[in-house]
Order: sequence, then C-alpha cells, then structure tokens
Amino acid sequence: MATTATITLSSDIMSTYGSGYNKTMTMTKAGTVTDLEETTGFSRRKLAATTAVDLITMADAQLLVETAATGAAKVFVQNVGDGKGTVDKSTFVTISIGDTGGTPQPIGRLYGGDWLLMPVTGNDNKDVVATPSTNDAVVLEYVMFFEI
Amino acid sequence: MATTTAAITLTSDLLSDALSVSTTTTCMKAGTIADGLTQMDTGYIEIATGDVYDILDATALNLDKANKVYICNESTDETYFVEVTVKAEVIGSLYAGDWMFIPWGAESATSDIGLEAKTGTNKITYTLFHEGRTLTAS
Repeated sequence: MATTATITLSSDIMSTYGSGYNKTMTMTKAGTVTDLEETTGFSRRKLAATTAVDLITMADAQLLVETAATGAAKVFVQNVGDGKGTVDKSTFVTISIGDTGGTPQPIGRLYGGDWLLMPVTGNDNKDVVATPSTNDAVVLEYVMFFEI
Repeated sequence: MATTTAAITLTSDLLSDALSVSTTTTCMKAGTIADGLTQMDTGYIEIATGDVYDILDATALNLDKANKVYICNESTDETYFVEVTVKAEVIGSLYAGDWMFIPWGAESATSDIGLEAKTGTNKITYTLFHEGRTLTAS
C-alpha cells in the first residue's frame, strides 16, 4: 500500500538550472519506512465567498479516525478554477494553517491552476484553511494522507 | 516571458480503486496572466539536530506575492527529519526523502520559512521562485 508523489520542476530563469528537477517521494509514517495507510480520499469543494473555511479539520469526526499529533501527514490542494473550465490566474485562494476561530497562519496564495503539496501536523486546531480572494466561485480539489 | 512550471503526479493504492492525479501549473507573478516569475534562489544546506534556521527570509522580499518554494530533505536515514515553520508556526515535518512545494505569500516581513532539525544532520535542498527583493547595498 503505497502513496507516491513525483514533482517535476523546470525553469528557464537561470540557464544553469538545466533541465530542471525531478523527485519522487513515498509517503511513510514518521521515522519509519512503513507506508502511510490513511487518507481522507480525494475531495472537491466549491467556495463562493471570501470567508475563511476549514478545508480539512484535524479533529473532525469526518475523518473517522483522529490524526496522530506526532505523525506524518501530507496535504495536496489544487485551485482548479470555477469548476466549469475557467481557470483565473488573477484570483487566488489563501491557504493557511490554524483555526478559523482564531488567526490562521497564512502559507501562500493558490492562483488558478496552482497546486501545493506540503506536510501538516495532525494537531487539533492546525486545520487547513482556505480563504478565497473574491466572491466568485472557485473550486478546490484536495486530499490528505496521514497516520493515526 | 520567463517560464517556470511545476508538475506533480500523485498516486495511491489506499482506496479501493487506484488514485492518480497529474497536473501542471505555470508559475506566474501575482495577479497576472502574462508574466512569469523571473527570479530564483536555490541552495543546499546541512542542518544538525537542534539547529534552527530561517532558510528563507521574508524581510527583503516583496510582500503578498506569488512566490513558490520547493524544499526537499535529501537525507536517507528514515529517522531524520526537520520541522518546517512559517512565521515560527510549525506546519509539518519533512522526513528523509520528503519534499514539499508551496506558494509563499510572504504576507509580512516576519513570514520567514524556518527549519528545525529534530534528529540527525539533515541534507536540505531548496529553491525559491520569486518576483524580486530589495537588494542590500554593499
């Protein structure tokens, strides 16, 4: 049971960057070579307001199991546009870590088509929070792999 | 136009049917559809257990931009890992062999990306694609 992610980066900004960079990781439990075994499944959510929402709630029963606070976890999120084929590079969704009831720490802006893959903690109140920049419809696709 | 692309292929057999997601994005300047990111920093460092570094400093970067950051823990001992922080807030841990790719808004001058080695001497590669910074006069 394996989950892998391969990134291919290429850029012509710097000629010495050459043909770019390619790296594959297999997602494993913390400090081991044992594969991660839990996932939220692949999800899709449409937002149409500038209100911050929890995309993934670490303590939420919807995960069925509690995420391990000291475990390994990875999140993939992509801004796929309005969900009807229009991908707007001029608007964005800010992805933050924290609690919508508090002050989540912004990570960065996912413009139309942009994606991220990052490690997260399983700690309660370290939720993945999404805040659109406009009231226009924007669809996020996301999945988390984690351990319990 | 400078062109930087980031592609990912994500696969998993945890579900009853195989999951496979592939996508590519072209990294643009904030709010534009015609101008790609034009500057980059890349490097390699080793961080020993207990060491805490701001690997990327937001101080001189232009704020609220569409920067992209790639960080990889190239260590091979599975027990080695670093905690990743943004503005001193822990967001997660990169274990040996793990990589991450995130947008980095650098919404304030203190929104640095930091690493703390928790075990081992971790070998870290990183690349920042960005829109420019205030250069320090010599």
